[in-house]
Formats: sequence, C-alpha cells, structure tokens
Amino acid sequence: MSNTQQLPHLTSPSLGFGLGLRTEHYHPILNSKFSESLKVDWFEVLSENYMVPGGKPLYFLDKIRENYPVVMHGVSLSIGSTTPLDADYLRDLRKLADRIQPAWISDHLCWTGVHGQNMHDLLPLPYTEETAKHVVERVGIVQDYLGRRILLENVSSYASYIDSTMTEWEFITEVAEQADCLLLLDVNNIYVSGYNHQFDAKVFIDGVPKNRVQQIHLAGHHNHGDYIIDTHDAPVIDPVWDLYEYAISRFGAVSTMIERDDHIPELAVLVEELQIARDIAAKSLEVAA
Amino acid sequence: MSQLAKLQSDFQAYLMDDVKGAAFKAHMIDDEKVGAKKRLGIYVDAYRLRIIEALATTYPKLKALLGDDLFEITARAYIKQFPSKYRNMRWVGDKMQTHLEQTLSQHPIAVEMAAFEWALGLAFDAEDAPNFTLQDLAAILPEDWANLTFRFHPSYHLLPLQHNVVQIWNALDKEEIPPNALQTNAPCLIWRMDLNAHFRSLDTTEYAALQSIVEGASFGTLCEQLQENASEEDATIQAAQYLSGWLNDGLITKA
Repeated sequence: MSNTQQLPHLTSPSLGFGLGLRTEHYHPILNSKFSESLKVDWFEVLSENYMVPGGKPLYFLDKIRENYPVVMHGVSLSIGSTTPLDADYLRDLRKLADRIQPAWISDHLCWTGVHGQNMHDLLPLPYTEETAKHVVERVGIVQDYLGRRILLENVSSYASYIDSTMTEWEFITEVAEQADCLLLLDVNNIYVSGYNHQFDAKVFIDGVPKNRVQQIHLAGHHNHGDYIIDTHDAPVIDPVWDLYEYAISRFGAVSTMIERDDHIPELAVLVEELQIARDIAAKSLEVAA
Repeated sequence: MSQLAKLQSDFQAYLMDDVKGAAFKAHMIDDEKVGAKKRLGIYVDAYRLRIIEALATTYPKLKALLGDDLFEITARAYIKQFPSKYRNMRWVGDKMQTHLEQTLSQHPIAVEMAAFEWALGLAFDAEDAPNFTLQDLAAILPEDWANLTFRFHPSYHLLPLQHNVVQIWNALDKEEIPPNALQTNAPCLIWRMDLNAHFRSLDTTEYAALQSIVEGASFGTLCEQLQENASEEDATIQAAQYLSGWLNDGLITKA
C-alpha cells in the first residue's frame, strides 16, 4: 500500500454531477423538477450573488435548495491578500451558509486586491514559503469562523513571478496540508495555466494530495494561439475531457460540475454536456476498478 | 511591509496605471513567446472590462442613452475615479450619479437616469418584508383608524425627478427612439412587487401624501392634510383610495 492510500479520507462522498446555477435557468430548473426530467444532481451558486438583502436572488435560491443539494463558491474571499480579512464579508458568507446549508463552501487560491480595494479578478500569488505561511494562517481563521473546512480552487493564470520558489502544485499541496483544507480542482484551469506557463497538466494532477480533492470544475476557454484566456463561454474541449478522465482515475468519484458564465446556452445543452462528464467518469472508474 | 505585501501593492498599482507602475513588470517572468507586458496586459484589460460590463448591467438604459462609445469613456473614467471597495460587483456603480454630476453636468438627464436605474437596482434586492393586507386592515377597530400609522416596504423609494426620465427609460426599454429630454417636475415611486422592481410617476398630491406617511403621519393626519384642498368627505375618500392603492401594490408591510 502506498503512503497516499494510508492517508485519512477527508472528503465527503461525491454529490454526482452538477452545474453552476445561473439566473437564466431558474425557471427551467424549477419547472423540470416536477417532471423529474432534469439530470442534474446538484448546483453550485456564486456566493456573492446571494449575499444581498432579499428579493429574487434569495427567493429562487431557497426554492432550488428545497429540491437540490447546493454548494457555495465565492470569488472575493481574497485568501491570499495581505489586507486583513474582511469581517463583514465573512459575516455575510456565514449568514448565507446558515440560510442555505450548503454541502460545502469554496473560494480561490488567489488574491483580489489590497489597500481596501477590490480588483474583481483572481490574481496570482507568488509561490513562496512566505505566501504559503500567510495563506495557511488565514485559511485557519476562516475555517474556525465558518466551523468547517473550506475548499480552495486553483486559478487560471497568465503571468508568473520570478519570485516563486516552487511549482503551483507544490504550493497548493503545502497550503492544503498545513491549513488542513480541501481542494476544488479546476481541470480546465490546470490546462489553461499549463498551456500559458508550459508545464505538463498531468504532473500537476499527480502532484496534489489525493485525499483532499472534494470537487472538480470543468469549463471552456478561448485560445489566442500564444496563450489561453479562461472565459467560461464555450463547451469543454477534448484535451480537457482527457485530463478529466486522468483526474478521475487518480482521485476516484469526485463531485464534478460545468461552469458557464457567458454565452449561456439553454439548460438542456449544459445537461447534455454534463452527460459527457458522467460517461467519462464511469469509464474511468470502471478501468480503475 | 512584507515582500508579499509589496508585490501585491505594486501589482495593483500596475493594474491601475501600467505606465506609472511599469517597474513591477520586472517581477514577472518575461518569455519570448508572450512576454511579461502582454501577460500583465491580460490582467490590465480584464480589470476594466469586467467592471465596465458590471456597470452596463446596472445601467443598461444609461448606456443606451449615452451610446456605446460615450458610455465606455464614462465607465473607464469612473473606474479610475472610484476604484471598487466592494466584495460584491453588485455595488460597484454606487457613485455613478456623483461621477456624472462631475463629468457630464451638461446632461442632467444622464445624472437622473443613473439615479433612476440605481434605485431600480436597490428595489430589486432590498430586504424582504411581509405585506400588510386588506385582511389586516379589516381587523383594525374603527376607533383606531385616526391614529393608524404605516410601515413601508424596504424596497420603497421616492425619487424627486426633474426630467422626463421615466418616459425616456420606457422608450429605450421598448427599443424605440426616446423623446427629447424635458425639464418637468415628475416625482417617481419605485418599489418591488412580485419579485420585480416597479415604478410609477406620482402627482404632487400623492407624492406629498406618501412623504407624510413615510415620515410617520397617521391616517387621520393624512385626511386633515388632504382637507386643505378638498372637503372633509372628499379628503377621506382620497386618503382611503391612496391607502387601498398602496396596499394593492404591496407597498405597506406589517409593523
């Protein structure tokens, strides 16, 4: 038995195959539930979109939560920022979690601004011991406050620091193990960053701790030739599906979802795309068995 | 300042102004294939484009009114003047009215359009509150009517507009050519009903009546106020009609 297999199993059982909840799909989701025709096992919601006082967003979220498991995914925790953690943000995050009881809460391993500003982007961190120590300390505070382990997601990046002293996967591993948090592995982001920084995406997948990957993201992107921009506005491409198969063969059954943030098609189109993930995962698990 | 803090501060400064902050580029790997400047340029562009898109979502009719080019110039200047301090993109456009007063003061219609669309947004996701219904009203004892006061829905907003903004908004919403901007005293009531933001123009009497009630005046005081321009009977009927309309619109909530 290898060392990895002896590690405690930290993740929850897979929720199956989900989609990012988008306003365009509120009505089709609620209508199709009653005919039980919708093959979506769970939804991921963008936390900030529902950290509002009331009205339509929370109304529909409550309705959908009545019928589906939901996970919360944030973009503004700014876990890697050197500006102190935002207490109001954390309070609102916990309030939303209390309301909808998500299966888990995730955000990105990045920073979004300093000096009280928010750049509304997932900015890359230098992969150094100093950064890892800083992030670990903050993850600890957040996890204590929320009373649960959080998931951190690898971001797509376009530039890398000369200051980095380790690879992204080494950095992620150090943070996850030291902070005792979980991981949301975005397979598309691994592909995008691998293309942009010329590393082997499979080495990345092999490099992260197997017992901490709780969720997988899949998405489409835009290839500009010399570099790729992570746009979430297109179907998942074949090389990313191949990487997904590789990831499942390593991590086993992991909750998987497709993100589409622009050029959002009809729900049925995404459900069909999700079926590809189901088929690939089934095949990969069969081979592994 | 730690090394990480310095890097982040310089990175952010670069995103705000890549000429002034150019020295930061030296911290990025500069390859032959893409190059550090182009790589950082992806972040520089994304920062602005993402906020411009958010502003266009908050202010769709302001964008239609100004046209794509002027809207983009306005949005870029706005981003420079008012960098976001919000975790939620929802609030990024909160200073647009101030910004337009400073930069497009020759177009007061644009300022008021921004105020109107911002108020629509506030109504959309304002706090929820249970409605006060006709049944609740029926339970009020006759002797209590004169002292009856009301609480308005959190989404309720009175906007004292000085131009025909609502007509222009409606025309733009139907993708029709909007009427010319005209100065007119056109107070507007904005609120949420059945999950959607609603609005309607008010005559000066109803505007004054709403203002009094919101400030805590009782139903009896409202009747007295309306008697200044009508008989006691007509004033009472008018007050009852207002109240019934406000109830039907879901404007009044349980105390």
